[in-house]
Amino acid sequence: MKGFAPYSAAARGLALCETCRLVSPVRRGYCPRCYTRLHLRFKQSLQRTWALTIAATILYFPSNLLPILKVESVTGEQSNTIISGVIQFWQQGDYPVAIIIFTASVMIPVLKILAIVALCLAARTGRRPLAMTRLYRVTEFIGRWSMVDVFVVAILVAVVQLGSTISIHPGTAALSFAGVVILTMLAATSFDPRLIWDAAGSDSRLTTNHG
Amino acid sequence: MHPFATSHQLACPECDALMEIAALHEAQRALCPRCLTTLQTYPRNSLNRTAAFAAAAAILFLVANWFPFMTLRAGFRESQMMLWQSASGLETQGYPYLAAAVSLFILLAPALLIAGLLYLVLPLFWNRRLPGAIEICRAVFWARRWNMLEVFLLGALVSLIKLGKLATLSLGISFWAFIALILCLTSALGSIHPRELWGRLEMAKQ
Repeated sequence: MKGFAPYSAAARGLALCETCRLVSPVRRGYCPRCYTRLHLRFKQSLQRTWALTIAATILYFPSNLLPILKVESVTGEQSNTIISGVIQFWQQGDYPVAIIIFTASVMIPVLKILAIVALCLAARTGRRPLAMTRLYRVTEFIGRWSMVDVFVVAILVAVVQLGSTISIHPGTAALSFAGVVILTMLAATSFDPRLIWDAAGSDSRLTTNHG
Repeated sequence: MHPFATSHQLACPECDALMEIAALHEAQRALCPRCLTTLQTYPRNSLNRTAAFAAAAAILFLVANWFPFMTLRAGFRESQMMLWQSASGLETQGYPYLAAAVSLFILLAPALLIAGLLYLVLPLFWNRRLPGAIEICRAVFWARRWNMLEVFLLGALVSLIKLGKLATLSLGISFWAFIALILCLTSALGSIHPRELWGRLEMAKQ
């Protein structure tokens, strides 16, 4: 049996309902208010988080190497990857857009994967729990914004169906990139931040100076 | 003192610290002393505001889906894009899974959020609870995570800049309704007082 953080609900056999946040004894099995199954911690939190993160890392490669958008015009066919799209915006002088797309599509996914790995490690070592909890909150919040490139593709494809001189088609990377974003979002939600405090609490040196 | 506080204990969802529930005043919020997570807020006039913003969001959602989102003009040709076509366009191009994901993020999740909130909150004014309220409540909290209207808006702005060089684009009624929809839905979600909502649901007659 793993140790729970001192002063934690779990150490007293109390579980927080994941749905309605009522605190009740875990041995009741189900939340008396909303009938959700009670757990002290998310089930197989670290296993699931690792698995989803590894899958996201693998998908990250095709999503950056393959084209995300294909533009056909009189001058020929042109394939854009995420990076070449960013470079195009930059060369045309649309610096803010280039920065937004680069941040949302290139930086955030990588930083998010690294952050989740750091969180998984912190759940074992229990080091710097306060900073790690903050990292967890940021990771949960920013993940969705990576989806911006997928929406750009969806809108361009929908709006340019003129049958005129230009036609736009989505590329394979659009699918794998959406996969990266969804998988990292799932990884962040399956991670249980309380594990960090459990690990920190079991090491007596760290309980006093978590500020 | 709330009549609906069933348990006087509170556990921090992020570090599991066990606490007694603080008596909050309106517009105050409680932070976890250990990990500084916001434990609860007490939005002003929670139920009224949630209902009002959700009702406004419902109307705006219909407007945003009924009128064209953008119109593209190139030469004599003109094409109008409806909001749902951003999903169906992907489907016709051979990306059904991507189309399903996009429709979840900008159509299904917001629709579920709005309809679910109204289904939960409106009957509470008569102290009633409709069948399946607990499942709906769970679905609403789930849909909250997958609702990406504001990210889609950023995507729309980027595509405006990208296409603005190739053709003339004009924004439709739907676009403006969409912005108002984001504001209303965010306000509706921000006005929810989960503790009060669950407590009232528990006390309400079926």
